[in-house]
Amino acid sequence: MHITFVKKILADGQLCAKCGDVEARLRAGGHWPRLDEVLIADERDPDSAGMRLARALHVERAPFFVVREGTATTVHTVFFKFLREVLEAPGTERDEALEILADNPDLDYI
Amino acid sequence: MQLAAAPEDVLADALQRFPAERIAISFSGAEDVVLIDMAVKLGYAVQVFSLDTGRLHAETYQFIERVRERYDLEIEMLMPDASTVGQLVREKGLFSFLRDGHQECCAIRKIQPLRKKLRGLDAWITGQRQDQSVTRTSVPTEQDDHAFGSNDHPLVKYNPLAQWSSQDVWDYIRANDVPYNELHNRGFTSIGCEPCTRPTGPHQHEREGRWWWEEAEDKECGLHEQNVKPVAAVD
Repeated sequence: MHITFVKKILADGQLCAKCGDVEARLRAGGHWPRLDEVLIADERDPDSAGMRLARALHVERAPFFVVREGTATTVHTVFFKFLREVLEAPGTERDEALEILADNPDLDYI
Repeated sequence: MQLAAAPEDVLADALQRFPAERIAISFSGAEDVVLIDMAVKLGYAVQVFSLDTGRLHAETYQFIERVRERYDLEIEMLMPDASTVGQLVREKGLFSFLRDGHQECCAIRKIQPLRKKLRGLDAWITGQRQDQSVTRTSVPTEQDDHAFGSNDHPLVKYNPLAQWSSQDVWDYIRANDVPYNELHNRGFTSIGCEPCTRPTGPHQHEREGRWWWEEAEDKECGLHEQNVKPVAAVD
């Protein structure tokens, strides 16, 4: 299994907040060594490796993970599902709820 | 031009497709009461649940009670996990959303109990409409719910009112003498938790009545395509 983590640099040069949070959680959980490759999707540079990979895989958001296993390639844009399904390390209910809300901003409106 | 499906038809299809114990209406204590009225008139004994965050207006609780009595319904009140709320309040106080943003509080008081409930269902029905916010303009009447569903447990979400306008909803409420939340008479368009909801003016969008102290937030998960020039093949 080969895992690529793509994180984004915003147009102002800052790391996107969610990418930073995901990286911190990966490190805190001891999962960082499981990543084989970390790419940057730099909004200031359309040819940055992460932007190129996003275009090739039709991914429209970051952070995201690409998992290659044999000939199969899977893209994960939801961190807690990646944690659970790939790293087999589910997060807390609270963390997962926060991510669901972050990815579905209308849900706070219910 | 495709004709919009009538909400009653969407509702009837949903309630016929799933057994009563596997589908439920999510009732917010606001205009989505029309879904309950429709379901009852269609003759279905439908499950109804409501998220009781513990911070709702007294008027909303009174309204939920009136709906329960009017339709002779059981309304399941979903409450947040007491220890999780207790930890939030202990660590950050009762109004952390004013300082840290509303997401953490909403995640604990709404998303967690909703997620727990939806684990036991195959479908749910909401009052979401396309005209409620710019992020809802493409809400369909029926969709696979990828937020709460999974490959192991697919979940269908019905939004029978998706193509109705606010005017349509209020026309229905008046024409059918449907009870409504008294807060609407005081200028509240979108009704949520008491500390996070305020009345809106005549030309304000209903979203402006929620979390008004927060600035336009970082909605930067998207990769900005406008910055991207076409390239040849990528290895």
